[in-house]
Amino acid sequence: MFRISSNLYKACIYRHTPIRYFSAQQPSRAHKYMYVTSHPDYIPMDWKSTMDRNAQTLLLTELITGLMVVIGSMFKEPVTINYPFEKGPLSPRFRGEHALRRYPNGEERCIACKLCEAICPAQAITIEAEEREDGSRRTTRYDIDMTKCIYCGFCQEACPVDAIVEGPNFEYSTETHEELLYNKEKLLNNGDRWEKEIAANIDADFLYR
Amino acid sequence: MFSWWRTMQESGGLWNSIKIIYRRSDLRVGTLVGEDANGNKYYENLRYQFGRHRFVDYKLKEFDASQVPPEWHGWLHYMTDNPPTKVPPVPRKFHAEHQANWTGTTKDYVPYSTTRPRIQSWIPPTNKQ
Repeated sequence: MFRISSNLYKACIYRHTPIRYFSAQQPSRAHKYMYVTSHPDYIPMDWKSTMDRNAQTLLLTELITGLMVVIGSMFKEPVTINYPFEKGPLSPRFRGEHALRRYPNGEERCIACKLCEAICPAQAITIEAEEREDGSRRTTRYDIDMTKCIYCGFCQEACPVDAIVEGPNFEYSTETHEELLYNKEKLLNNGDRWEKEIAANIDADFLYR
Repeated sequence: MFSWWRTMQESGGLWNSIKIIYRRSDLRVGTLVGEDANGNKYYENLRYQFGRHRFVDYKLKEFDASQVPPEWHGWLHYMTDNPPTKVPPVPRKFHAEHQANWTGTTKDYVPYSTTRPRIQSWIPPTNKQ
């Protein structure tokens, strides 16, 4: 019966281990080597140990202690976020879905300097540039393979005009691979949709920019 | 878990509470902070534990997490304490309407090339003079 709980069993063993200390009263034992634990099969059979052991087994002390922990947890407020209705905290610097931003007058910011393409460690960005009718340099192709992207944020750090940013959106999972091959149109649309929040996040971070 | 009786009463009675629990597997009440253009309602109750004190009630029956528009997204994610009812975003003429994630439907995004092809195919001359 006492083998039900190995922890209880060990505790009993350890409690009755004859540990000896160096002291002035026992100078003759100071040179002796003492085992810290006794033999694993040693079970103290004095009255007190036996009674304690049997009482703990018969009164289900450990089972009831565990049950009290379970019952106590049932009345606690769960900390799990009920996701689509509650959402977890995010930083204003969160690096999520990419977006191409515009100037307040509506002109697209990207000037096709290709710094983001150069710094991208995953080589997820492809840019082709051409002269526009008004003579300004713009991209004709700005593709990001979101399945290659590692969301390091180097592209938005490299960008001299704050054109490519990683917005706060992370709920853009798709059913197919090709939906994650973003082109310039999609990135500009993302920018137009998320600009309200992107601008607010950039404002919130102005001390560090 | 505070005062489940009052929570049930404020949710509109027993039957409404059962319906809400069936829908979002949780019953909580709060003060209405605002409502977005799609009709989703945003609530806050500071008596709940910090980090779970803001929540959204979706308008549509087929709710999706991406239906939260960007002006409320930051508030719901605790990025900012300013809901758009208090600090409205600066209006720009290029702002576009928010779209939910349409993957798996016919409205999903299909990639295409934004450049004209480098090699044009040869158009044979016609002899129609």
